[in-house]
Amino acid sequence: MAKKAAQNIVVVEGLTKRYGDKTTVNGISFEVAEGEVFGILGPNGAGKTTTLEMIEALRPIDGGKVTLDGFDVAKHPMAVKEIIGIQLQSTAFFDKLSLREQLEMFSGLYGETAHPDELLEEVQLTEKAKSYVENLSGGQRQRFSIAAALVNKPRVLFLDEPTTGLDPQARRNLWELVQQIKKKGITVILTTHYMEEAELLCDRVAIMDRGEIIAIDTPQNLVKQLLARGFKKTQHVEQADLEDVFIDLTGKELRE
Amino acid sequence: MNAKITRYFTAVWGLMKAYIRRLFRDKVALFFTFLFPVLFLFVFGSINRGSGDISFTVAVINNSDSSFSQQFIGELEKNETFKIKEDVTTLDDARERMGRGEIDTIIEAPEGFGEENAQGVPAGKLNVYYEEASPQGGQTIAAVLQGTLDGINKQFGQPDAPLSVEQKSTATENLSSFDYIFSGLLGFTILSLGIFGLANAMPAEKKTGAFRRLRAAPIGASQLVLANAGAYLVSGLLSLVLMFVVATQMFDFTMRGDYLTLLVFIIFSIFVMFGFGLAIGGWAKNENQSAPLTNVVALPLMFLSGVFFPRFLFPEWLQGITGYLPLTPIVDGIRYITTEGARLIDLGPQLLILLIWGVVIYIIAFKFFRWE
Repeated sequence: MAKKAAQNIVVVEGLTKRYGDKTTVNGISFEVAEGEVFGILGPNGAGKTTTLEMIEALRPIDGGKVTLDGFDVAKHPMAVKEIIGIQLQSTAFFDKLSLREQLEMFSGLYGETAHPDELLEEVQLTEKAKSYVENLSGGQRQRFSIAAALVNKPRVLFLDEPTTGLDPQARRNLWELVQQIKKKGITVILTTHYMEEAELLCDRVAIMDRGEIIAIDTPQNLVKQLLARGFKKTQHVEQADLEDVFIDLTGKELRE
Repeated sequence: MNAKITRYFTAVWGLMKAYIRRLFRDKVALFFTFLFPVLFLFVFGSINRGSGDISFTVAVINNSDSSFSQQFIGELEKNETFKIKEDVTTLDDARERMGRGEIDTIIEAPEGFGEENAQGVPAGKLNVYYEEASPQGGQTIAAVLQGTLDGINKQFGQPDAPLSVEQKSTATENLSSFDYIFSGLLGFTILSLGIFGLANAMPAEKKTGAFRRLRAAPIGASQLVLANAGAYLVSGLLSLVLMFVVATQMFDFTMRGDYLTLLVFIIFSIFVMFGFGLAIGGWAKNENQSAPLTNVVALPLMFLSGVFFPRFLFPEWLQGITGYLPLTPIVDGIRYITTEGARLIDLGPQLLILLIWGVVIYIIAFKFFRWE
């Protein structure tokens, strides 16, 4: 495991968020190594998004500490924002601006010269360069959202439920995009509640529930541990499932 | 350090460009920014075209020591047919106010008016001054006064009428009433673009999440505010230029001042008004919060700052208070520049009131700004 030797680019220690007397995130700790794809799994309301937003310096931290590439997020939010890319859950962009113009604007926010066409090509939206975001399909929108998160060549990319609401084709397409990004050495932290997605993309996952991390390891190890506890699936595992049928019949081609 | 500043403004410029592009692609915004002010101009311009209204607002000046004159003027001031401007005591002051359209007629009892003549009866000429451009009021008043004096003449049994009225038409500044209300219309445009536009746009962007996305980048609220201000300044100035073109072409508006002075004054005004929109839009979480607050702020300004009704129609106490509203110095200042050729130095009081409002409102705006 060469990954273990790599430096931890994100270190979360005792991170806590409270709203009134309700604790949404309860003293969680984990590390993410550089170049890793790290997944945070959990049912709705587990505190995944809140956790991400605190790491991203978008939400005040009530307790604990987050260090990103050596910077304390609470103390140096601007320095942190320089090196991260964020795809927010249900991200809204300005209306009446073409994709190219949006990317130019975002580049400007980082004081960078824009290369909108390269970014659009990377996420397969070259033909949509002149379209407005409001006229994109769900999958296109998510891909554009990732392009926008890449304008500043971030070292860490945050994806909050990137495939929620997408059809199987668009979902697979997005998985490929994440794998491409990983190949470039960018650390990816994503949340999802699709297990197959986590299994396919993530090097390690943390399972969150009620504001706490209840398990953290590689997907394979987690499965092994479960089996070691004597777990047996009640149903016989089929060689294919309905999604395989669907993809076989409708093809992998994107529908947009 | 320089690189930091460059970077700061690169972001502002990029955002500002985005805002301007969006504005010019938004039909509703285009309507309210450009067409609406011009429509407004047509409506009010047509009502006030030429020398429309006669209000019979008069100034009465007594320069004669004769007891007849004292008595006569005293009676005149009790008369309720005319609305008499009480605080005007000298002819020069009265003429200046007539130039501004505050009063439309001056009745002057000149020195020696009412003194007894050789026959031992009061004699002399009463002067009635009126605006050459709007003679109706003055001529009516002159006729009424002549009738009154004739009655007195008859009582003294003088057939050769020793008391008479002399009508004096003066071309003070030759302002049309349109010239006068135009400043109010410009003020209204500055108000509505500055407050309504921003106070609605910002909460909408908070609601869609567009602000959150911007915030993911390393930019500060000040950059967002500057970009908005810049975009608003550009569209606002274009809108005002359009109004000037229409006013000059269609309503014979005559500009008496210096355009550069006006530009500087208007840019300053726009920034101050923008502060109000920013304070509301920056604080409000959604349109439900911003809409009522916008009305609470904008409506009094609209009706009390001399936009629709000239402030001199108000009772004295109200004139005093409304003079300190933020829109009043804007409307007054623009009017002094366009109708009297005022320079920035002449506008000290207006600029001072604006400056104070500007400082206060921006402090409030930054303090209460919320990203979401």
